[in-house]
Amino acid sequence: MALANNLQVMVVDDTSVSRALIVNALDEMGVRNVVLAKDGASALKTLMLNPVHLVISDMHMPGLDGIALLKGLREFAPTSKIGFILVTGSADASLIARGLAYKLNNFVPKPFTTATLKKAIEAVVGRLA
Amino acid sequence: MKGDEGRRRRELVTQGEYRVTTDSGISYASILGSCVATCLYDPEIGVGGMNHFLLPGENRDGAASDMRYGVHLMELLINGVMSQGGRRARFKAKIFGGARVMPGLSDVGATNSRFAEAFLKHEGIEIAASDLGGSRGRRIEFHPTTGLARLIYIASDWKPLATPPPRRRAPSPAPAAAGDIELFDRD
Repeated sequence: MALANNLQVMVVDDTSVSRALIVNALDEMGVRNVVLAKDGASALKTLMLNPVHLVISDMHMPGLDGIALLKGLREFAPTSKIGFILVTGSADASLIARGLAYKLNNFVPKPFTTATLKKAIEAVVGRLA
Repeated sequence: MKGDEGRRRRELVTQGEYRVTTDSGISYASILGSCVATCLYDPEIGVGGMNHFLLPGENRDGAASDMRYGVHLMELLINGVMSQGGRRARFKAKIFGGARVMPGLSDVGATNSRFAEAFLKHEGIEIAASDLGGSRGRRIEFHPTTGLARLIYIASDWKPLATPPPRRRAPSPAPAAAGDIELFDRD
């Protein structure tokens, strides 16, 4: 069975239109097992109870931003191995370095295309289909 | 208000740009044909910003790519205002532009206008004022910390540049035929 069918993904973004864009792109890839969170704090709370395979998170969010969410996940054993992709409009070297310090798996610059998002996901979890 | 205007530093926001400030001495100006400018502000703490976008229209990825580009520019503005202390729940927006300045060609202005309206509605951001569509270009000035905006229509024979030059220019007087001036109050 294709990986896309089994992959459980959480999309975290405070902009609902952006969440929908990522969900649509995932749908095009055949990834439909998706949960949503609108900020880092609610994502962390949900993931601690129900971990997923992969988190695709925006960077800039009120409260816990993308890096703070990543840090929180890495510090809690049951969520420490979750794949994490940061989607950001400001992918400068210092931001990526901060992410890598917490084992960031990949990042996608905005505005992204379905192809670039797919490539980033497959680099983390392997071929989807 | 009028007494303050002379002392304000006017900054031009060109296509693809966004700017945010808490400085009450700054106003943002833009010249719009089919482009749309979003003026976003939190009136309670006095922070605001403006973006100026034109969805490319014809891309390899088509409408989806346009949508992502537009959303990205909106997010940059929203994140910018939030990073200066603005609270999303208090945001208000004013949107301008989206004219059909080249009759006969596809109505890119309408696409830009629809996108801005739909995005703000979807995100639950109140549109406090808007002036979109028509066939005339617009010159707008926005005071980010109060939300006050001023709009001047440009004469219909004026042709906007495809990409305004990325330099600050002294504002030129309105063309004689322009005429209309509208002031939008904060609420």
